[in-house]
Amino acid sequence: MLTRSPRRFWRFPLNRRRVLRGLGVAITLPVLDCHRSSAATRTPTQPRRMLLISNNLGVLPKNFFPADAGTDYTPSLYLQELAEFRNQFTVFSGLSHPAVTGGHSTENCFLTAARDPTRSGFRNSISLDQFAVESLGQQTRFPTLNLGVNIDKANRSLSWSRDGVLLPADDSPAKLFQRLFLQGDAQQLDLRLKRLQERASILDVLRDDVRLFQAGLGTTDRSRLDQYLTSIRDLEQNLATSAEWEQKPKPAPTAQPPQDIPDPARFFPKIRLMLDMARLAFESESTRIVTLMIDGFATPVFQIDDQRRTGDGYHGLSHHGQSSQKLQELEQVDLRQMQELKQLFTALAATQAGDNHNLLDHTMVLFGSNLGDANVHNCTNLPILLAGGGLMHGRHLAFDGLRNTPLCNLFVTMLRNFGLELDQFASSTGMISELL
Amino acid sequence: MKPRSLTNTVAMLHSPRYCRPLKGFTVALRLLVVICSLAALSAEHTIAAGDSDVPPGILQFLQQHCTDCHSGQKTEGDFSIDNLTFQLDDAAIRRRWIHVYDRVAQREMPPPDSSVLNNADRQQLLDQLSPPLEAADLQLILKRGRGPARRLTRSEFQNNLRRILLLPQLDIRDRLPAERDAHGFTKVSALLDVSRVQLEAFLDAAEAALQQAVASRQPPPPAITQRFTGLDLFPELSTFGEREAMFFARDNRLVAIDGGMFSRMTPEQRRDPSLELALFRSATWPYYGYPRGFLAKESGAYRLRFAGRAVRQVRDFRLAVALEPAPLSFRARQPSGPDVSGDVRETGGWMDLQPELREFETTIQLRAGETFEYSPLGLPVPFIRTDGGFFYDYPPMPAEGHRGVAIRWLEVTGPLREPDWPGASHRVLFDDVAIEKATAAEAERLFRRFAAIATLRPLTDASHAPFLSLIRQKLAAGTPPATALLAAFQAFLCSPHCLYLTEPRPGEPDQHFAIASRLSHFLWNQRPDERLFQLAATGQLRDPDALRSETSRLLADPMFSHFVQGFADEWLDLRRLRRDLPDERLYPEYRRDDYLVDSMELETRNFLGTLFTENLPVATTIHADFTFVNDRLARHYDLPRVSGSKLQRISLPPGSPFGGLLTQAAILKHTANGTSTSPVLRGAWVMEKLFGQPPGAPPKNIPSVEPDIRGAQSIRDLLNKHTAAPECARCHAKFDHVGFALENFDVMGAWRDRYRGLERGEKVTGIDPAGHPYTYFVGSEVDASGTLPSGESFQDIQQLRKLLIAQPRQLARNLLHQLILYSTGTPVSFADRREVELMLDAAATDGFRAGDLLHAVVQSSLFLGRGE
Repeated sequence: MLTRSPRRFWRFPLNRRRVLRGLGVAITLPVLDCHRSSAATRTPTQPRRMLLISNNLGVLPKNFFPADAGTDYTPSLYLQELAEFRNQFTVFSGLSHPAVTGGHSTENCFLTAARDPTRSGFRNSISLDQFAVESLGQQTRFPTLNLGVNIDKANRSLSWSRDGVLLPADDSPAKLFQRLFLQGDAQQLDLRLKRLQERASILDVLRDDVRLFQAGLGTTDRSRLDQYLTSIRDLEQNLATSAEWEQKPKPAPTAQPPQDIPDPARFFPKIRLMLDMARLAFESESTRIVTLMIDGFATPVFQIDDQRRTGDGYHGLSHHGQSSQKLQELEQVDLRQMQELKQLFTALAATQAGDNHNLLDHTMVLFGSNLGDANVHNCTNLPILLAGGGLMHGRHLAFDGLRNTPLCNLFVTMLRNFGLELDQFASSTGMISELL
Repeated sequence: MKPRSLTNTVAMLHSPRYCRPLKGFTVALRLLVVICSLAALSAEHTIAAGDSDVPPGILQFLQQHCTDCHSGQKTEGDFSIDNLTFQLDDAAIRRRWIHVYDRVAQREMPPPDSSVLNNADRQQLLDQLSPPLEAADLQLILKRGRGPARRLTRSEFQNNLRRILLLPQLDIRDRLPAERDAHGFTKVSALLDVSRVQLEAFLDAAEAALQQAVASRQPPPPAITQRFTGLDLFPELSTFGEREAMFFARDNRLVAIDGGMFSRMTPEQRRDPSLELALFRSATWPYYGYPRGFLAKESGAYRLRFAGRAVRQVRDFRLAVALEPAPLSFRARQPSGPDVSGDVRETGGWMDLQPELREFETTIQLRAGETFEYSPLGLPVPFIRTDGGFFYDYPPMPAEGHRGVAIRWLEVTGPLREPDWPGASHRVLFDDVAIEKATAAEAERLFRRFAAIATLRPLTDASHAPFLSLIRQKLAAGTPPATALLAAFQAFLCSPHCLYLTEPRPGEPDQHFAIASRLSHFLWNQRPDERLFQLAATGQLRDPDALRSETSRLLADPMFSHFVQGFADEWLDLRRLRRDLPDERLYPEYRRDDYLVDSMELETRNFLGTLFTENLPVATTIHADFTFVNDRLARHYDLPRVSGSKLQRISLPPGSPFGGLLTQAAILKHTANGTSTSPVLRGAWVMEKLFGQPPGAPPKNIPSVEPDIRGAQSIRDLLNKHTAAPECARCHAKFDHVGFALENFDVMGAWRDRYRGLERGEKVTGIDPAGHPYTYFVGSEVDASGTLPSGESFQDIQQLRKLLIAQPRQLARNLLHQLILYSTGTPVSFADRREVELMLDAAATDGFRAGDLLHAVVQSSLFLGRGE
């Protein structure tokens, strides 16, 4: 797949030599600032953000999906928790990833849609978040943040590189806070800058070389190689951006440093903490894309609230086999999770972002799962909810439950809303135009 | 709307329909417009009819025969001749005239029902149009060459780095973005862009490759041998699918061991070498099995030795002697239990276990942290049922029992050491220099040496300069010599010297190297070998005999398999073979049958290779009396039993519907969608890919035919309704007929006389190999008859075949077009057509043989370049 060059309004007219010098010697005040402000005046709208959340055990489908569709839908038991935000989210039914089957193994494909993860020769593909970054280039200090709650970091992630390599999740809010707000030590900074400098010097050589090479070519070939020169320039600017960010002072935190919660049984406080971190990251302009895997599979017996504990580990609970005891507990767990979502929406909505707008208006929050029904390992009819981001909300968009619409159609819609001009991502067959 | 060309692959390649998915990629589009120049004609060419520069004879023809439908408000087929000038040096205008030429030449225009045109008038127009078109096209080719420099594909880049760095297992392909394709072809100059993303990926890939080359300097950890016997052969005492899937046996009898017994056993008892591990199911989720406790500590190659045999499980868990061999492979994966999390890769190849116990040895590739699981091929899979619960079911035991394998012991040794540490890769980079202490002069020598190894064409002294200056700068700044050199190597590997193939231009100093590279990337998908470089250096590649013998040498080499795989993927779309899974309700017998799909892919590859290496007539693509099958494929085709997994060449019985690409399972599978077959899609694919006569893009606003999988309406009824209007029928007549004849083949290419549906017909019920109950209905009979556009009719595929092989010249012309695009990266242009026809004339005498056609392409000026 080909990706387009960075968006124009972020392509500031930096002088290359000046930037490269900047890579070597530590300039304290970056050139970037003035360009950003000029860019900001040209584009009054706030940039979009994405928060992509998956719970790899899903929710009880009958409590999640509304029975009727459209704007007048009757909220399901779970959606009643979000009643206050009814016009700021859309609930979807009838979405799934085509041919992504294989029970729990599909958890790593939620944002990649890579087909049939248990077959021989399987290799995962690029995830939605990484694809967006690759296409847009780095515009913030962190291209993305990849977070997890109770996550088995070695084996699970929502974020995958182009060549299908797992990008491990961060599961420590305390360390994350440091990365976001505390200046790193000089030695590490120096190392990172050296690496960027190395790349820049290689690009310098290539530019000289391509020019020499071009001289011996006919016009058609020469213009073909112009593309190569353009790529060098684009890449250099990208490096320059990274270097600027490395040297730029980090934003001041608006909250106290958090303390990690090591006990996996304190599941919901952990989720709350991570969602807070995501909000802080958006608010401080540290990143625009956050993924969060809530790893229910790796969650042992846990606390539903201060009084109650589950009778079984989350995975055991999810295979409820229609046991009324387990169903009851699951319902409580799902409801608690919806309350955390509500808390997040409330916090985002309370954060000013631009004139007459709040952070929720600019942030697409996707909540879903790779499992439609964890009890029977079903990977169709996934529970999907999308809030915020300035899209048309307030509906239950019901697609065919037997012949599902690709979830990637929603992803394409989100990517377009994020600022990418494209028609296709992974298994998509179109868009969900109702949102636009 | 943009004009569409309807006849040849060349034009289709550029047609907007095929560029559509790329919309938004502005850089690419801009280039496509420049190079392909299929931009819509803009108003700037407006010329009043009176003062048109179109030659009078042609203008008169247009006014007489074309304006009714292609002028003013009426633009049939989105084609208007208004404002069409005769500025033939403008590629977009030239292309429109070629479109006119082709429609008239093919007798499609003017349509027979709306205008009467005698042959003389038709020929007269063609004679008037052809010379100026050819002249304009040729002029451009002479000035600029046929096509621009072509970037390497990611497979080529990986292959070349493997060769340069002597790292045969190097795995960097997937670090690079996948290429775009036009009609399945990725080796197309105009599509092989470089953007920031690609450049960065190339730099990353080259860096990773160089790191591996250097890393091999570290002495590898000593190889360790671990032997597994008894209960250590499996990670658990039982698995999903219970005893039907796996048990331990002694003297052909079940040895039942539970957790309690296991905990009381001594290590020696657990390793009891008289026990056998018996497996009866293919590896799949959630079923898994690997030796207890094995984990690769390092990435690398591991030698695997084991003793095993093919068995049958008969009544009450007894083992009986197998009736046929049982193929086995291994799958590399993380030992994460039924929850597979990482990659799963088949490794070690296919081995046929025999009814008697034998020893086997193979080499597998593992990454650190991985283990390997037994992967018996073609056996049922125990698969979880999700219809109303969480449970497994078992198919009834076949009369001859469950087929399976028994493993007696297994030994794994690794990681295998390189024989000549510190390694050949290291010497490619640093020769035998003690690199830590290398002087600037030595570093410079090492760079020149490496560049000479890696470049695709001779380097001038000046072209070393940018790289040498980088090395000097770095050394001056105190960078260690190895680091400085590696940076320069990395840059060089991503520079145009290694990344671009240029067109040979007669008279230019590099021409022989351009020929050598074009030839090797064509037939081996990688850089020239030493001999080819030698011939380039001594300027011998324009000698027809030398070139012919080199071509033959490359064809006969095992590396020709790269061509076969690449050309099968691109020409025959085999890359799409695994796109759809067969519908589990309609085709339960194919559930998770990877072995069948892998086998059909091998059949088509073997067949395609044979076509060239044995120089068979091109009509063999349509009709052959042989094919390649193994045990699974023979069953699939209802052929007499064949034993073993290795594909063998067999003669087809007289009257067999199989034989030839046209009816190979791989082709029939990827031209269906797993659930239903469409005569439209299959027919269109065959006409485009095998005959080079692609149908035009479907008109807008006409929905495609949705097959009725309930079984109530046949596809033919639906299509008859769909094509009732004459304007629809006219186009569909060009390709539907082939599709109708192929209706006798199901979504996986097996023969069928009747359709299956989910609601109507004879009810069939059973339990599929994965233990799912199924119900489908065998419905109406297949009607495979049809009529060709020529009026000839046929009853079935056999009769159609006879009609189709009567057009060998068109089959050969198409093959030439495909080979020319694949080898030169540029489609056949109007000016190339004359030479293509000459090649056909020459090949005609011997019945248009595939090998002869390939040689003809290599010897042509299209391949070797034209001088001014």
